[in-house]
Amino acid sequence: MKTSDMIIMCLNNLRRRPMRTFLTTLGVIIGTCAIVVMISFGVAMSKSQEEMLAQMGDLTMITINNWSGGDPDIPTLDDKMVAEIGAYDGVEAISPIVRADWGKIVIDSGKYKYEDSIYGANLDALEKLGYTLAEGSYPQGNEKEIAVLFGSQAAYSFRDTKKSRNNYVYPWDQTGSGEIPDPYVDVLKDDMTISITVTDEDDKPKIKAHKIKCTGKFAEDYNKYETVYGVFMSIEDLNRLNEEYNKVNGTSGTSSGGNKKSYETVYVKVNDINSVEAVEEKIQALGYNTYSMESIRKPMQEEALRTQLFLGGIGLVAMLVAALCIANTMYMSIYERTREIGIMKVIGCVVGNIRTTFLMEAGFIGFFGGVIGVVLSYLISFLFNVFGGGTSFLGGGMMWYGGGGGSSMSVIPPWLVVLALGFATLVGLVSGYFPSNRAVKISALEAIKHDG
Amino acid sequence: MEQKDILIDIKNLRKVYKLGHEKVVALDDINLSIRRGEICCILGTSGSGKSTLLNMMAGLEKPSRGQILIGGKDIVKFGEQRLALFRQKNVGFVFQSYNLMGSSTALENVAMPLMFRGMDKDQRERIAHQVLREVGLGNRAGHRPTQMSGGQQQRVGIARAFVSRPKIVFADEPTGNLDSKTTIEVMELMVNKSRENNQTLILVTHDNEIAEYADRIVTLVDGRIISDVNNVSKARTRQEIEQEALAAAKAETAAAPGGQDGILPEDRAEEGRTTDE
Repeated sequence: MKTSDMIIMCLNNLRRRPMRTFLTTLGVIIGTCAIVVMISFGVAMSKSQEEMLAQMGDLTMITINNWSGGDPDIPTLDDKMVAEIGAYDGVEAISPIVRADWGKIVIDSGKYKYEDSIYGANLDALEKLGYTLAEGSYPQGNEKEIAVLFGSQAAYSFRDTKKSRNNYVYPWDQTGSGEIPDPYVDVLKDDMTISITVTDEDDKPKIKAHKIKCTGKFAEDYNKYETVYGVFMSIEDLNRLNEEYNKVNGTSGTSSGGNKKSYETVYVKVNDINSVEAVEEKIQALGYNTYSMESIRKPMQEEALRTQLFLGGIGLVAMLVAALCIANTMYMSIYERTREIGIMKVIGCVVGNIRTTFLMEAGFIGFFGGVIGVVLSYLISFLFNVFGGGTSFLGGGMMWYGGGGGSSMSVIPPWLVVLALGFATLVGLVSGYFPSNRAVKISALEAIKHDG
Repeated sequence: MEQKDILIDIKNLRKVYKLGHEKVVALDDINLSIRRGEICCILGTSGSGKSTLLNMMAGLEKPSRGQILIGGKDIVKFGEQRLALFRQKNVGFVFQSYNLMGSSTALENVAMPLMFRGMDKDQRERIAHQVLREVGLGNRAGHRPTQMSGGQQQRVGIARAFVSRPKIVFADEPTGNLDSKTTIEVMELMVNKSRENNQTLILVTHDNEIAEYADRIVTLVDGRIISDVNNVSKARTRQEIEQEALAAAKAETAAAPGGQDGILPEDRAEEGRTTDE
């Protein structure tokens, strides 16, 4: 038998009892709606949770903290290791962050001196790592001078060396004039030099001051405190200055202080939120400590999933009833059609075709119910979002994070639609399975004797 | 009888039903060979086992013992799937109670065996239409069984049985529900159709008059064959049969179209609709 003929046959059978087909389908519609709408509440909840987490920090960032000291089991976190981690699946950008030892390096601009935090990093990776510039641009790599980037407030850390008191400008309104004063140095315009310091007070060797060029200023990001008061340069430049320092002062430290050439902090950016866990586990397996929002996101996500399952479970009850409905309808229909099934068998319909037509019939009820149910769910979801107060379901205690504009009460993502349709069809098929087996087992001989 | 002509060969067939603790022997020691193209009547009273025999030949029932060779193959050993395919390819059925699909039109009913074979809708409906015309129901193709008289329904049944040109057509009391005039029409139709294509027709009846249409009459009593006679002496010759059929066809065309039972087609159609549910 051709599939098209079987489809026509079962559609005809469904049409023969329109009321019964409608009522059975209605059961599936209600079941689908219940599941979809319930899960959509859960989805909306976890969506607003993620919005909240995103406000707290970048969800796809992993920070590697390596305080291994001399532990021989843990590999050195050097450039080679950084490159290796950078090659992991899902890693988008990676950069070590090195802070120069306090006071080793200073920046001068005329009589003004900057002695605050100086960082070395892979400047090319910073943009991908989520650093944003408020002004200027990232260095092109062809600057004659040493290229640096200033933190948003770093310019206020210049000290007037000619004064002994009151020698800083503060980035807030002190006079009540309503204006925030400019810092001493306009870092984007003024000439600046960088130089190492000398510890030996008696015999001052001559040191060289390098010209620097600030190409940009970071936007303020308190999740990355170094973007506020710090100054960034490339690791290579920082290392060069550090060697210079060691030569002049006769010391042997690295730019980050320790004796081992191992980075203490490395930032890793992962391209997808779902890859964070895998990448983080891989890094942890090497022996390093890591930190990411995953440790906060994960339990929250699990909680959201639990809520979704719970809500979906409520919907599932409705679907279960619908399944019983379908099974009942199919049994009824098979009893009614016993004679027909018998005739079909006698005149040469193979058993498989009979089973398929009945399964199809049940599957169609499930599928059509699913389609209408999904459409209806969108409508219900829309109504909830318009009239439901615009806040997450079960969300009384969670309203505090709902600052983002997108906190809908009900969200139906595409996967839920696919899932609902698939599930509704599956419910149809499963509940049609046993009745169809019964149809197959009907004795042709008994059936044609059957009156009716 | 030459061996190569034998289509159905039944050997030592026995069927025992268990009713509680009692055993009822429905058929015992049946040996029967039926030639290709033969019109064979199995005659017997109610309870003689004639229907059981037919059901077993059609593969609807399994014997307790014995062989049923059809075209040299023992269908007793066939599984259900193979039996269904066997029936699909080789067997047509005419029932006493017509057994048409109430929800389908005459055309769809006739085309159904072809549909089970996987034939295209256009092709099978063209063939079905042709066969319907041959049984004199060309103008009834779109009617449902409930909108037709018994005789018409049985002619649809015959069209359905013959549409796929099966080697064997089984007819179980095909005229049991029909009046005597319609009985003659239906019997002649069946006999003529099977003669046309040299098809084997196996007829089960309790009616001696019906048996007269057959080439051969096998009489069953209490599950045993008590007589097996060629009907040549008593039977009308082929020529006679054809002449009678011609006469009957003329009589039919003379009668009001579709109105043999005195009810107008429109009335029946109305009746059909109201009783449809």
